Amino acid sequence: MAESQRVIWRKQNLRELPKFRDGLSYLYLEHTRVEVQDRAIACLHVQGMVDVPVAALGVLLLGPGTTVTHAAMRALADSGCSVVWVGEDGTRCYASGTGEARSSKRLQQQVRLWTDDEARLRVVREMYALRFSKRPAKHLTLRQIRGMEGARVRDTYARASEQSGVPWSGRDYQRESWKAADPVNRAISSGNACLYGLAHAAILSGGYSPALGFIHTGKQLSFVYDIADLYKTEMVVPAAFQAVSELPENIESRVRAKVRAEITRTRLLERMVNDLHALMEADPEGEDPFEADEARPGDLWDPEGDVEGGVAYGGDRVGEHAAEPEG
Amino acid sequence: MVVIVLESTPPSLKGELSRWMVEVTTGVYAGRVNALVRDLLWEKCVQHARRGRCYQVYRTNAEQGFAIRMHGDALRSVVDFDGLEFVAAKNAQWAESQPGNTPEKHDNVT
Repeated sequence: MAESQRVIWRKQNLRELPKFRDGLSYLYLEHTRVEVQDRAIACLHVQGMVDVPVAALGVLLLGPGTTVTHAAMRALADSGCSVVWVGEDGTRCYASGTGEARSSKRLQQQVRLWTDDEARLRVVREMYALRFSKRPAKHLTLRQIRGMEGARVRDTYARASEQSGVPWSGRDYQRESWKAADPVNRAISSGNACLYGLAHAAILSGGYSPALGFIHTGKQLSFVYDIADLYKTEMVVPAAFQAVSELPENIESRVRAKVRAEITRTRLLERMVNDLHALMEADPEGEDPFEADEARPGDLWDPEGDVEGGVAYGGDRVGEHAAEPEG
Repeated sequence: MVVIVLESTPPSLKGELSRWMVEVTTGVYAGRVNALVRDLLWEKCVQHARRGRCYQVYRTNAEQGFAIRMHGDALRSVVDFDGLEFVAAKNAQWAESQPGNTPEKHDNVT
């Protein structure tokens, strides 16, 4: 057929995108160029060009030596895939697609819980409760619970060290020098980076803000740390010790593969989304009114209940539609 | 579920496969067989492909839910990204990037 018949592609339909929990967790790339070729997201590999199914992907982790084109970034955002730049030194720099949610209902709920000290404390206790096999007693203070949590983490490291035979001298990573850390610490940092990326993608995909943390506070990614911490000891620590005990080479890559296997086995994506909604006391299946038409105008706030937006109020004819579209 | 694709293989191999699986279109077979039979069918394909190419995709418990294998294709291979399997194709774009190949300068006009 003639080249002149160009196919016109409609705007991304949000319903086409697999839900976060049904998709792939993460993909780590390094020393490659990510670009768009005939609408496919292609990256250059020594063995050939590899098309990456980004619409099904939760988070794309870009390691050292990666280049991304403008068109690729746009396509990634369109498909709701989060993008995270991770350095070899364990530093992370986040960027994000817009996620699959267009409604701000969940974010408003998060803010409601966050601004009310009583509700926030409830969420914090819930978050700790998720980590312990037995729910901490009601009379314990937050300080006591933090102490319990510290003991639990130390115990996890000690047990993983015993099971794998890899000696453990404490969590230690040098922000200045990646190679100076011992292999287990490097393995843990690598696994954690995947988990942070995934938590970040889950938060965006659910329509929440990564900045409003409940336990953690004060950083743009506080909520990411909150969520990732719920699963760290379970997902990353045993995998990291095991990877180090097996082979000294390719530790980072083998940890990622092991963490992935663990994520699949425990259906973490589904669990993460469910935990997230439960913590935020949100309806997991709540409708997104903007799913079908994301350009639809939002409502206008009113103390007596929101009123329909996109309407010119106080005009000659009430209900007359505003001429200016949003966005 | 198992899918097998045959390209330029002897007709007898295609006929043989159709005893187990449904030929959806020329050279594309779909069926549900157990792991043992799936591996035996793959061995059969590899053994009788001559200079043709065969591909098999089948369900697994890994995150992707499926695995891929290939035989006889010099331009395509399966690559593993920390547990995810993708296909790498040695196409023109790839060839351009190889050392010793001086790519022509072109403007990126979209």
